[in-house]
Amino acid sequence: MTEKERTEQDIGSLETEMNRGFLHILVLALLEKDTYGYAMVKHMETLGYTVEENTLYPLLRRLEKNGWISSKWDLSEDRPRKFYGITAQGRSLRAALLDVWKNQNRVLDQVTKEIRHV
Amino acid sequence: MSDKLESYLEEISHFLSGKDEREEILADIRAHILEKSAASAEGAATAGTPDDAAIERAIAAFGPARRVAERYLDQSRPIIAPAYKRFLFRYTTLLFAFHVLLTVFGVIFKKDFVLFPFVFMPRLGVIEALMYLPTAFLTDLGIVTLVLYIITQSGKDIRLPWPKFAVDINEVKPPVLAERIFIGIAAFIMLGITDFLVYLFIKHGSVFFVNLDLKNLKPLFMPAAGQRLSLILIAMFATSTMALFIKIITKSRWVDIISDVVSLGLIGLVLTQPFENLFAVHIEERLIPKIRYGIKFLLLFIAVMITIDLIKNIVILSRRKLAQTR
Repeated sequence: MTEKERTEQDIGSLETEMNRGFLHILVLALLEKDTYGYAMVKHMETLGYTVEENTLYPLLRRLEKNGWISSKWDLSEDRPRKFYGITAQGRSLRAALLDVWKNQNRVLDQVTKEIRHV
Repeated sequence: MSDKLESYLEEISHFLSGKDEREEILADIRAHILEKSAASAEGAATAGTPDDAAIERAIAAFGPARRVAERYLDQSRPIIAPAYKRFLFRYTTLLFAFHVLLTVFGVIFKKDFVLFPFVFMPRLGVIEALMYLPTAFLTDLGIVTLVLYIITQSGKDIRLPWPKFAVDINEVKPPVLAERIFIGIAAFIMLGITDFLVYLFIKHGSVFFVNLDLKNLKPLFMPAAGQRLSLILIAMFATSTMALFIKIITKSRWVDIISDVVSLGLIGLVLTQPFENLFAVHIEERLIPKIRYGIKFLLLFIAVMITIDLIKNIVILSRRKLAQTR
């Protein structure tokens, strides 16, 4: 394996770790409006973010188990669809997570500025 | 409904637990795959109706069944918490050492050992003992795993005891030149002794004598027993010699482990030697029980020393393997 390939692999695995937290916030934000899994995947793609389908569904399940989102099946169409929506508890969590993320962003901005001045 | 989709869901289901939860998960995945394959079929001849090829593509994009199932499984609590993993090897080694010691006792004293309900060590011959030990190891590993599993699942922070005699994993370093020379000298001395023993055996059929007059050696043991015990002794020296020669190039603990195991097996063979009609020289009747117990004690002592060395080497090797896999 070349140095470049190793770096790319490292970035890939670190990106996966970083995505874990980010995806929580993103999903909680998207679910302000009730939607179903496949529509969320497509919506994220239009925003320039690709999510692995087998990551999104288990995440939705965990969020629901914790009471941060709720779901209901819609059987009125040709195909059954499971619609998810954020709960009040989920909104509080989202607000707290956004604060954490903003703080992390601020710290990184600050450090990046400091590096530029060195 | 597509057979491919159903067999894919069946495969995922195989890895999941909990009937109700499993059904819900499968329903989610089924809905997603049908939705996605229908969307990809839109505009095609089969507009809106997913065909097998579209379903196959959607399945491929969703990922291999086992990986999908693993994403749903709760990984927050492992079978054994990382902090306790090292104790799996430590405790298994200790327990196994205890088992080996009991086995050695069982073979030497030809008695059953019962420590109800924890230990039952039946009277064993050498071959049975050698066959028993791997089973004992697996049992010990299973018991320790079970205990650590229970501790992990309890979620409590339990400080597991471990004595301070643990060896340093960095103890094994490649042999330096001075060490190599020292080991080389020892190896050649051992080779010389082994060769001399082989020479004696070929010429006289034994290596145990009661006098040192090379022209008129008197054997200590009866011919058949003498031959057998001599071969065992030669095998012991040959094993140690080979181990020393290999250790000139490497200090791998495997060399010590294999050498220890072979030596323990050979000591076991010595212990199977019947004591009756063993000596070729006259020995007073009253001294025979003392000699018998003296020899057994000596062999037991050697076996215990080798066992301790064996355990130490296994511990070092296990800890190094564990450190490498972290």
